[in-house]
Amino acid sequence: MNLVWKLLKQHISKPQFAGFFLANLVGMLIILLGVQFYQDAMNAYNGKDGFMKEDYLIVSKKVSTLGNTIFKQSTGFRKDELAQLEEQDFVDKVGAFTPSNFKVRAGLNLMGFSRMSTDMFFESVPDEFVDTDQSWSFKEGDQFIPIILPRDYLDLYNFGFAQSKNLPSISEGLATSVTLDITIKGNGREDHFDGRIVGFTNRLNTLLVPQAFMEWANKTYATGKKVEHSRAILKVKNPTDENLARYLQNHNYQTDSSKLNSSKTAYVLRIVLGIVMAVGVVICLLAFYILMLSIYLLIQKNSNKLEDLMLLGYSPSAVARPYQTLSIGMNIAVLAMGLVAVWSIRSYYIGKMESFFPNYEGANATTTLLVGLGLFALVSAFNYLLTARKMKTIWKRED
Amino acid sequence: MEKIQLNKVLPNVFRGRALTGSDIWENDVCFEKGKFYLIEANSGTGKSSLCSFLYGYRNDYQGNIMFDNEDIARYPIAQWVELRKQHLALLWQELRLFPELTAWENVQIKNQMTKFQTDLQIAQWFDLLGIGDKRDALIGRMSYGQQQRVALIRTLCQPADFIFADEPISHLDEQNSQLMADLLTQEAKRQGAAVIATSIGKRLELKYDTTFKL
Repeated sequence: MNLVWKLLKQHISKPQFAGFFLANLVGMLIILLGVQFYQDAMNAYNGKDGFMKEDYLIVSKKVSTLGNTIFKQSTGFRKDELAQLEEQDFVDKVGAFTPSNFKVRAGLNLMGFSRMSTDMFFESVPDEFVDTDQSWSFKEGDQFIPIILPRDYLDLYNFGFAQSKNLPSISEGLATSVTLDITIKGNGREDHFDGRIVGFTNRLNTLLVPQAFMEWANKTYATGKKVEHSRAILKVKNPTDENLARYLQNHNYQTDSSKLNSSKTAYVLRIVLGIVMAVGVVICLLAFYILMLSIYLLIQKNSNKLEDLMLLGYSPSAVARPYQTLSIGMNIAVLAMGLVAVWSIRSYYIGKMESFFPNYEGANATTTLLVGLGLFALVSAFNYLLTARKMKTIWKRED
Repeated sequence: MEKIQLNKVLPNVFRGRALTGSDIWENDVCFEKGKFYLIEANSGTGKSSLCSFLYGYRNDYQGNIMFDNEDIARYPIAQWVELRKQHLALLWQELRLFPELTAWENVQIKNQMTKFQTDLQIAQWFDLLGIGDKRDALIGRMSYGQQQRVALIRTLCQPADFIFADEPISHLDEQNSQLMADLLTQEAKRQGAAVIATSIGKRLELKYDTTFKL
């Protein structure tokens, strides 16, 4: 056995280190479980959505029978209304939807089985609101138009149309590999494009194309027609803000309430988990404090031995090393046990999630692992530095 | 390292006190590698303080101590560590052995670091000094005279330019003192090291080049 360690392990208090170990394990577990649970829960709420990030709301004006249907009043937002929205404290960003003012016809040629075609429309929002990992751009001369489709449309085809006509069902994966024949008419011109579905969304009932395409197409095929913004997308700071709800009500705007509710739930979940994780951080801090006190006490009790070792020619860092190894070793054990515990608890709740939400996919573990490693590195670095510093005070006999 | 110079050194506790007849304090003294020095002292004249100053353990003095013309007051920790490992060996008056370890382990804790002596050599010294049967005895269970011999062996487990021996034989009989003196002389000559021994009465019998009165 290493003789230095044999000397320096004198006076180690097992109960103190067990106390640290347990406290740190509890703190670590709370933090890591919080991180992992938050991500898993967010996955249940959000699913994979090609279009919207969190905290986006879509608002439109309410349609009234008298005003809009009979007198054909505009349901669009005026420029000043949009500007006013943007000025509100609870709004981060506003983007207006741009509708197509030209005729769109889309055909689907599915492996030679059947040719379907239908009249459609497009809409666009500023690109910064679109969250897709596929290419989302268009420039004049391009033949290819990326499209984001509501998931409902695919369901409508798969569960309604295809079944009644004995057509094959289409998975999301297949749909994204199919090319749509897009015909655009207007202004005396007719052009063909290839449309490709690059994503699906649950949150919006429209066919979304890049803003650049829409601006170019409206200019080319619908010269002179006034573009009306019938809907707007808002990035809000806090979807539960009362002022937001009041503002929307006072201006007779409406918004997708299920989205608002899920945002509210997510917000509350964030707050609750934030509090829980703060408790975990406090426990970790206290555990760290216990460890440092134990090590300081140990160094103090062994100060004569440490001094003699240094007089023999051992450097302060050489005699600090056993204590640093001890604390870092314990931190590694805490991290490993914490991660194992998180995984066993997670496998329990993931089962439940899967029964609540079909198609549920858990979040991956990378963030949790990184947070765990980060905490470990931070705590270990402080252990290391404080122990080294304490040794220097023994050398200088400052106590 | 070739020489140690003391320029008007005085421990702070002696400041303002009238010192008479010290060859060292407030004088200019030079110790050279390869020579043997004896410092004779009465109790309370700062003998252990001198060892502590020269070993970087204390610095509560005025004046300058120079190693090869460098003032040691500003030596960083790393340099002292290196000096204690490679250049300066000190046999403390209070020995500074570890009572939790055996005699053998007390020597090894130094030799493992310096890897200067072979186990065989160390075992021979144990036998030579008459403590071969005490190798595995805990230091705490050994007599002070036996401990002094263990401490000497440990002191020799490093390369050195200067070997300080602070009252090394206070608890030894004539025969053992002579054995220690012979061993110390042999090792110092082999390395060309200086020996600086102190005494308050019972002196280690070496062939001293110079004797100072503290």
